Amino acid sequence: MNPLSLRSADEKTLRLTGISPVLAHCLFELPEILRLRDQPAPRRRLLQDPSPRDVEANAEWHRLIDGELQHLFASAGETVARDLTQLDPASGQLDFPADHANAWMSALNQARLILGAQCDVTETDMEREDLDVRDPRHKALVQIHLLGWVLHLFIDHDDETAV
Amino acid sequence: MGSIPIARSTSLRLGCHLTLCYCCGVAAPSQPGTIHIEETASQEALATPWNIVVHNDPINLMSYVTMVFQRIFGYPREKAERHMLEVHRKGRSLVWSGGREQAELYVQQLHGYQLLATLEKAEL
Repeated sequence: MNPLSLRSADEKTLRLTGISPVLAHCLFELPEILRLRDQPAPRRRLLQDPSPRDVEANAEWHRLIDGELQHLFASAGETVARDLTQLDPASGQLDFPADHANAWMSALNQARLILGAQCDVTETDMEREDLDVRDPRHKALVQIHLLGWVLHLFIDHDDETAV
Repeated sequence: MGSIPIARSTSLRLGCHLTLCYCCGVAAPSQPGTIHIEETASQEALATPWNIVVHNDPINLMSYVTMVFQRIFGYPREKAERHMLEVHRKGRSLVWSGGREQAELYVQQLHGYQLLATLEKAEL
């Protein structure tokens, strides 16, 4: 299996290659993870209070801003869910439109934050190496790391194409 | 990314003499000849800068935070990384100061990128 990489297949297409069966499984779970965004802890994380103290200003902010953010988050998730229908785990390769890159970054980051909020993940948790995927909390940490690995490829690619 | 600036739709009532519109900064006196004290107050309110503070969280990648600072504020990589490292090491970084309306737009964008960000009135 080739190492995981993201590159331009042509002007309008990005190609993710070297997708291991474990990573493919994790990516297939992405839409399901994103559906948890309305659970209390993920919702608090994704739709934050802008003010540390002003309850009234926060309420007004949520009234005006939350709908737009929810639409932004949902739309990114739907784009990525559609792209993932083209993923064939046997080939370990996925092609998708290059202009979906921002949606991918948003969806990958959302999923990591949702898992983190659901499991109340700390800095110490993120440094753990003794992870056993039979434990749901450990499984969430593995998913956060795997999705972070993919996200990092998108950030690197964005950096390269910006130069 | 679209935006809904809160300040554009709100106004601040200053005493009983005038209403200050955040949008255009126009103060409309209800009792002519008595506005000079309130006008000073309104000018101070307008001039008061707002700080955008980004807070540390255990999940967001350092490279992601740097990219977001570059994209939103147009910071060069070095400055974006400096703020990112301050967030990582000190738990928070004051990333931008300025007018309230622009600050709200930036915070909305930071929330859109899922960074932990708050808006705080600067202490003068």
